[in-house]
Amino acid sequence: MAMVNLKINDQKVSAPAGSTILEAARLAGVDIPTLCDHPALTPIGACRMCLVEVKGQRALQPACTFPIAEGMEVQTESSKVKEARKFVLELLFSERNHYCMYCEMTGDCELQSLGYRYGIDHWVYPTYTKRFPVDATRQYFIMDHNRCIVCRRCIRACGELVANHTLGMRQRGADSMIHADMNVPFGESSCVSCGTCLQVCPTGALVDKRSAFMGRDVETEHIKSVCSQCSIGCGMEIVTRAGNVLRVEGDWDAPVNAGVICQVARFDPLYDERQRVAKPLLRKNGKLAEVGWDKALQSVAEHMAGTDSRKLGVLTTSNATNEALYLLAKLFGKELQATNIGMLNGVAPKVSGNSEASLADIAQSDVILVVGADPVNDQPVASFFVKRAIDKGARLIVVDGEDNELAPFASLNLKMADINKAIEIAQRADYPVVVYGIGVTKKAVKALRELGQKAKFVPLEPGVNTHAVAAFGLDNGFDPAAAQALYVLVGEQDWDGKGVLEKMGKGAFLVVQASYESPLIEHADVVLPMAIWSERAGSLTNTEGRVQKANKAVEPEGEAKPDWEILSLLANKMGKKFSTSLDEISALAAERLK
Amino acid sequence: MAKVTIATDWLAACAGCHMSLLDIDDRIVQLLEAVEFTSSPITDLKHPPEEGVTVGILSGAISNTRNVEVAKQMRERCQILIAIGDCATFGGVVASRNMVGTEEALKRAYIETESTVDGLIPDSPELGKPLDRVTGVGDLVQVDLFIPGCPPRADALFYALSELLAGRTPVILPPEHFVYD
Repeated sequence: MAMVNLKINDQKVSAPAGSTILEAARLAGVDIPTLCDHPALTPIGACRMCLVEVKGQRALQPACTFPIAEGMEVQTESSKVKEARKFVLELLFSERNHYCMYCEMTGDCELQSLGYRYGIDHWVYPTYTKRFPVDATRQYFIMDHNRCIVCRRCIRACGELVANHTLGMRQRGADSMIHADMNVPFGESSCVSCGTCLQVCPTGALVDKRSAFMGRDVETEHIKSVCSQCSIGCGMEIVTRAGNVLRVEGDWDAPVNAGVICQVARFDPLYDERQRVAKPLLRKNGKLAEVGWDKALQSVAEHMAGTDSRKLGVLTTSNATNEALYLLAKLFGKELQATNIGMLNGVAPKVSGNSEASLADIAQSDVILVVGADPVNDQPVASFFVKRAIDKGARLIVVDGEDNELAPFASLNLKMADINKAIEIAQRADYPVVVYGIGVTKKAVKALRELGQKAKFVPLEPGVNTHAVAAFGLDNGFDPAAAQALYVLVGEQDWDGKGVLEKMGKGAFLVVQASYESPLIEHADVVLPMAIWSERAGSLTNTEGRVQKANKAVEPEGEAKPDWEILSLLANKMGKKFSTSLDEISALAAERLK
Repeated sequence: MAKVTIATDWLAACAGCHMSLLDIDDRIVQLLEAVEFTSSPITDLKHPPEEGVTVGILSGAISNTRNVEVAKQMRERCQILIAIGDCATFGGVVASRNMVGTEEALKRAYIETESTVDGLIPDSPELGKPLDRVTGVGDLVQVDLFIPGCPPRADALFYALSELLAGRTPVILPPEHFVYD
């Protein structure tokens, strides 16, 4: 890589050609203050906080957009520069409502922190008293235009990262305002409530409703983890205070999603109103009663050991950790010799004989076939990948039903029967990618195989950890009629047992490992309370086959235990010497997933 | 050596800044060896003496004509004027009224609130007349030192007074004493 030599504050610096002054300064450890700039977004030089003195340039230049050149001499903290930055801040503070003492973001605000840095201890200009509206029409977060500094980070996040293009600007100068679509309330706009704008806002203009006024960042803990709401496996940070989850943020360092998450990851789980199962329950005289773990597990162990392996049934959700699924397969499949094992979600058929491609391949493609998958609803972050590629000029062909929510973005919408038309187009493309889900028919699979090495195939598994369920052989096909004793790992999933329970033999023994109360539990003989996503550690395998570590952020509700621990305890209760260490089980599971 | 004289007063304020001044705690005894508090809203003597003081301290925003009078008098009677608290430096909580306008704010507060029956906007002649716009003290008279904070920390006030006693005039407080809330 060609390097360019320059001087920043008389210090010799070299940086790759094409870098901006800001990038070169960061490489050299020189701090230049920024406000509209964000590492994940394209710089636009809007706020003028990063102004620097460049020798030979008539005016001060924004470091975030000014490219470096050989022999350039830059001063980042000269008195002229400091004066200009202070002036910029005085102007910013004089517009709209920047009274810190009654703002939710005080203590965490980037504008405020620059006010401190440049000693803004009073206002030089009369403050602007025009009142701007507050838009609270979205369910999860508020836009207070009075706190907005019009830095356009939100607009760029919406356009560049999510490729949703909901946000834009209207008016000019001091009347400038962020708006949605053609100036409609945010709640009625094309906004998908992914909250990426909320995450990049430098001030208190965008405020999370649930965690507002619940503490400054320094009072919270950020625990990196992996989302378990779908099969993409986005990296996220669970923000907690005093043992409570306040909110969820995207992890900028995450390999899969690079900071962007969706509504289902960020907001929905925190608004879950289902009642938790907090203690083990055992049916006594026809009624479920609270018991200790020991008694509950003893009862399960006795019934499982006392049932013929052919009459033993196992059903599992795909929303469980690798460790739990591994132990489930080991205990029931290997040790107890059960074969009647199935899952609650389907598995997408393997289309390609080669190893599957990664989500990142979507970004490189010129033609994207979305076949039998509706990522907008089922794997929202995958739909952001597709929309970003469309922005870069890729052509989208949706082969699915008419109600597929990517259909409006497609240049061609086809029925599954017409898949050959899509394949013809893909044959002519330079870099075709096929994104497929469980809706792909057998015929379509056969047709798609003709693309062979030409295309990259990206599966979108319908369940969270479907990949591991299939890898551990837990997707055997389940026959309810044959089950005399059934172990259901339902976890956090909503499943009422319809279509299964009524087909089971009379007097069949039902064990449910669940996090939430549900109609299913009313039929159970034993209920084992399970920790949810924020309360357990473990690993998850995403739709690409990538194994990622999830971390525990808070203590489990009541006496609930992590999914894998329950199975490990049960196995030991049955006299099987299973490991009780998460690290050991993780290693064994990872070995099998290779 | 004669003691340095200090007078304090409040404008449109909540008294929190003066509480912070008292929060200097036992260090105030040490302070009193070198300074004399001539007058303050929380002592018997309320007004700065005619012969003037060395340091004048004002908390609160300029919200009505009475505040204007008090602020101007303090400026005339002191050599160094310190504005303490967010209200005196920026307008503070009082200035949130600017977002709706004075008339609207008075109507809402005294007539329209859900718990009010037969409300009345106070207009007794002993009260100052509300201004159309609330500002910090610096918008009206020359201020020599701003100490923001809601309230400013006792340590910040103690630091500023100690510096002045040592013959140094702080221009901007050091970061550990500089807060907006």
